[in-house]
Amino acid sequence: METASQLAVRLTKQSRDQFWNVYTEFDWPDSLDADRYAMTPELISIHGTELWESLDEPTRKRLSLYEVGNFFSLTLQGERPLVAGLSDRLYSKRLTHEGTEYIHHFIDEENKHMIMFGLFLQKYLGKVYPEKKIALDRTYAKGEEEVAFFCKVMVVEELGDYYNVKMMLDDAIEPIVKQINWVHHRDESRHLGFGRRHLTELTEQWMPTWSDETRAGFSDWLGQYIKSSWNDFYNPTMYKDAGLEDPYQVRKMALAHPLTAEHRARASKKLVNIFLRLGLLLEAPVL
Amino acid sequence: MDEQQIRAELREWILAHAKSKPSGELTDQTAILETGLLSSLDIVEFVLFIEELRGDEVDTDDIEPEVFTSIDTLWEGFFGQAAG
Ligand SMILES: [Fe+2]
Ligand SMILES: [Fe+2]
Repeated sequence: METASQLAVRLTKQSRDQFWNVYTEFDWPDSLDADRYAMTPELISIHGTELWESLDEPTRKRLSLYEVGNFFSLTLQGERPLVAGLSDRLYSKRLTHEGTEYIHHFIDEENKHMIMFGLFLQKYLGKVYPEKKIALDRTYAKGEEEVAFFCKVMVVEELGDYYNVKMMLDDAIEPIVKQINWVHHRDESRHLGFGRRHLTELTEQWMPTWSDETRAGFSDWLGQYIKSSWNDFYNPTMYKDAGLEDPYQVRKMALAHPLTAEHRARASKKLVNIFLRLGLLLEAPVL
Repeated sequence: MDEQQIRAELREWILAHAKSKPSGELTDQTAILETGLLSSLDIVEFVLFIEELRGDEVDTDDIEPEVFTSIDTLWEGFFGQAAG
């Protein structure tokens, strides 16, 4: 089996071969076409609900712009701490030499993603949706923080990739959105490959040293983390911006709807299975 | 909604989302995070609930984590005279 270091060498080469310039990659249209969906309808957070059925076509299309804006914002917001954490690990004992070399590309690509999402958001929405998270200090067992960091990376990247892959194949949506999803997926497929291998090695290294209590606590935290990451897709401000009434009620309704629960389970299946197989999740969380 | 109602709403939300039953009564001074009643992952939900109560968005960039210490600090930070 290829080690994370061996994989890093391969991925470094690929990143150099595919090196791209975020400032020349896109032809940004002056405005988006109001007659087109900006996001694949099936991915819209209230898709299939009674509320969705009651909306007329122009409202659905307007909502799709704020939905894709929210999706790009939460990807961007997830990439900020990701880059911070990866930078912190460069040239440290937490990475091998080959790992550090690849992480330089990982950071470079994530930085370009943030620029790309930021350009889209400023141009077509005039804002980036803020994050509502507040970090609180907590204590960790040995290795737990390291494993938790790469779990968080995997959650943001795997959930995002599910959306990217759907939209990069959708010819009906705004071409610029389709292209952004495609560009993102091209880099993310490497990040995901490295992340899976690296997390596997970290888990094999640290989990055997954890007490049953630490393992149970970790599994509990991870399940909650995935759930709270999903909740960010149901942003009341986004509903308000799209002109929907009672945005906080829309969020509650959408989160409680069986169809959206099915969607979350489907979109998280790969992610949850990886965590279950590694033993980081002791049972599949209710999402 | 007056102050007493808002404090009661906050208390109800905390109890409904508490990871463990509080030892003794949940007063307006009980440490919410320290005692493990709520975790940092509950904060986003809680912030949205507070927005709904206030009828106004919360900018978390302007907020110190200390505001989540107790119902007293929540009232002051989000609803009292000083709250923006
Ligand atoms: Fe990215
Ligand atoms: Fe990535």
